[in-house]
Parts: sequence; C-alpha cells; structure tokens
Amino acid sequence: MADIRSLPALADRRPLTSPQVTLSALPEGTVLQVIAGPKTPDLTRLAGEAGLVARAIAPGQWFLVGNRPTAHQDMRRLLAMLEPDASGIDQSHGRVRMLMEGPMAAAVLSKGTAVDLDPTVFPPGTTAATLVGHVSAHLTRLDNEAFEITVLRGFAAALWDDLALMCAEYL
Amino acid sequence: MASLVPCPHCGSRPKEEFTVKGAALKRPSPEAGADAWFDYVYLRDNPRGGYEEYWHHTAGCRRWLIVDRDTATHQVTSCRDAASASAKEHGA
Repeated sequence: MADIRSLPALADRRPLTSPQVTLSALPEGTVLQVIAGPKTPDLTRLAGEAGLVARAIAPGQWFLVGNRPTAHQDMRRLLAMLEPDASGIDQSHGRVRMLMEGPMAAAVLSKGTAVDLDPTVFPPGTTAATLVGHVSAHLTRLDNEAFEITVLRGFAAALWDDLALMCAEYL
Repeated sequence: MASLVPCPHCGSRPKEEFTVKGAALKRPSPEAGADAWFDYVYLRDNPRGGYEEYWHHTAGCRRWLIVDRDTATHQVTSCRDAASASAKEHGA
C-alpha cells in the first residue's frame, strides 16, 4: 500500500548553525487561527489548557500554536469552548513555523523586514504580521535573541532559502 | 506616494505592505439618483494637497485604513481604521 504520510514542508532543509545565528524548522504541531468578536474570550487561559500559546496577529485575530499536534477530540473541545464569542480555524496543515536565534538574529531578520526589531520597541513577547522580502510572514520575538517566523506552507521553502541567504555572512 | 504609513495597529510600515483602493468618499443614499451615483463611482478630484484614501494593510493586520496624505509632499497627516471612522462621515 502506498505510503501517504505527510512530509514536513522543510523536511529536506538542514538546520543552519553558527555561533552568530541558527535557523531551524519547528515541529509541525498545532496552529489554530482564532477570530474573535468584540467580546474576546480569555485566550491565554484557553490556550494554556490546551497546551498552546496565543500569538496576536491583528485586532481580533490570534494564532494558538504548539509544538505537538492536537488530537481531534481535544481540538473539537477547544473549538467548542471558543464559541460563541470567537471561532477557530485549524491551520496546522497550512502554516509552517521556523526558529531563528543567536546574537545576530535581529540583524539578519532586519535585512528582510521593515519592522523595527530594536528590543526596546519590539520586546520579547511582541508579534508582527509583516513582509519578509516579498513573502507575508508573522514574527514573534520569543527572547532577546530568538524569533519565531510563521509562514504559509507553500512559501516555507522559498522563505527558508531567503533567510539562509540573509544568514550566509554569519555562517 | 507616502513611503511610511503609520498603521494604527502595527506602527510605521512601508507602503509595499499596503494596497491602495482610492479616494474615501461619502457614499450617496440609495435614492440619491443616477447623477450622484455616477459621480460617486466614476468621478474623482485630483487635488494638490490633503486627500483621504482607503488603504488596505494587506501584508500586515489586513485592516482597511483611511489614510489622509498630502499629494504634493507625501506627508501622511492621519491614519485611522476605516471601521472606527464614523458612519456619518463616510457612509455605511
């Protein structure tokens, strides 16, 4: 019988590592996009209960992300808890997350985006939906020297190659 | 064209992240008549100075914004979410 397991979008990209900057693919776990009305449920609590973390995208929109896949039953329970003030759309298949870290991570990323990545303006925990090169991406600063980059699955390989080129001077 | 647009949700962003729709005009009432609707749909001023336009932050928060910019100096004087602009001012 044919093997129909899905292959991670960045399965053939080896992590880039150097003391200055590292680039690696995060596990394709859970990405749940949430759209809320004027009354937003307590997403930090709901996400925490499901083992996920909430990341703001835009007014009334969030990603709930986690490194582990969410079982069908748990996902159904979470989606039910979001209603009626919010709705969730499972994007685990549609978004790919990467991690860039190291002392030069912000310098590398600022070659591609116009977001001010100075830690005083963009401190750990802040997020931004922006362009990296010509590709729409979502940035989260996890730490002073660590960024999570979320991108549409079909753009993941292209963005990886762009980021690899931006990293090249530090590898 | 303005290079940096102060998005009320995302902060200062380059124009490449946006899509411009065009002048933000007051929508005529449904019964306003063919002439008023023809004006609204087809006729545009081309002023030198302040001009209000709908901009969509396509590669950012994906919100529709009303950007008030000077067509001569490219200075952006205000930028607000189109949903927060009063219905009276800009129609439904």
